[in-house]
Amino acid sequence: MAELSIGIAGLRTAVITRDPDVATVVRDRYEGFLSTGPADWRIEISPPSGGVPFSKDVVVRRDGGPARFSVRRHDFAGTVDVSERTADLTLTSPDDVSINSFLRILYSLALVETRGLVVHAASLVRDGAAYLFCGPSGSGKTTVARLSTDATLLSDELSIVRIAEGYAMCFGTPFRGELALAGEDRAAPLIGIYFLHHGGRHAVEALGPKEALARLLPNVLFFAREADVTAAVFRIAADLVEAVPCFDLSFRPDPGFWEVIRNA
Amino acid sequence: MPEAYLTQSPRTAWRVYDGEAAVLCPDDSTLNSLNAVGTLIWESADGKTAVSAIVARICEEFDVDPERAERDTMAFIAKLRERGLLTVSETLQQAP
Repeated sequence: MAELSIGIAGLRTAVITRDPDVATVVRDRYEGFLSTGPADWRIEISPPSGGVPFSKDVVVRRDGGPARFSVRRHDFAGTVDVSERTADLTLTSPDDVSINSFLRILYSLALVETRGLVVHAASLVRDGAAYLFCGPSGSGKTTVARLSTDATLLSDELSIVRIAEGYAMCFGTPFRGELALAGEDRAAPLIGIYFLHHGGRHAVEALGPKEALARLLPNVLFFAREADVTAAVFRIAADLVEAVPCFDLSFRPDPGFWEVIRNA
Repeated sequence: MPEAYLTQSPRTAWRVYDGEAAVLCPDDSTLNSLNAVGTLIWESADGKTAVSAIVARICEEFDVDPERAERDTMAFIAKLRERGLLTVSETLQQAP
């Protein structure tokens, strides 16, 4: 039996498995995020099984209790118990994409009680402050990360933000995009949220919280459809756009966008 | 016409920014952006304020004639009701 501990955004998760291939995948895939110390969460990953219930799309729904969710996709099936802080997972094969997808879903549920969100966004640290560049596929997240050679990469695909009393922290994640690089395991105060799109010039325009909230919500990674958890995610997102200045960012593929951000 | 009372669905989440509400629809997670008049109606959907009182307030605050205010209010209520954001009752509702 192997036990590995992964720490992301201040939540440490013990991964327990009998399958040596799964243990190898976890060790390799989360190398920069392996940690020691007591775990907040515990996931048991069973050896691959052919009997995993098939679901073409990700399905996350309440199952057997207010804090218990079943999670299914074509390549895995599992449960997440938010109150017990436990999860179990059965894979069709010891594949890093399957484990990573389940972990993303797990963190999207687990972070709600700590007032955190997983956001489709690149995040970078410059001079000790974090910047979040938010947008769907094709909006330029990886391009922004690639152009920011003097910044520390937190993620080029999925970032984690946690909100406290009037301020927000942005955390590095192992959830990588086209850049195929994990972020660094560090955190920094979030000082700006930028909703990205390609344009002919660099331009920054401040957004009010209502507009920012409307733009942020579609970029929050969240699969559960239950009204109470969706409302909790809404409140975290609303607190976030109230605490952190938000902007529309039009940019062309050169590092000059940092100049307009600085001058905004 | 009998009096009617509006009640927000307890499943919604909402915030008001600069006098305009953003209301999350619980069923499909869409965000409904209300204008100032819509926000007045939404904030008055407490189960105790009669629709006639809401219409009177709209006439007073937004300088609209009563007939138009009532027509627009009823259309807006129908839309919110269809989206599952509020319920309409002919009796006063108790506080939850």
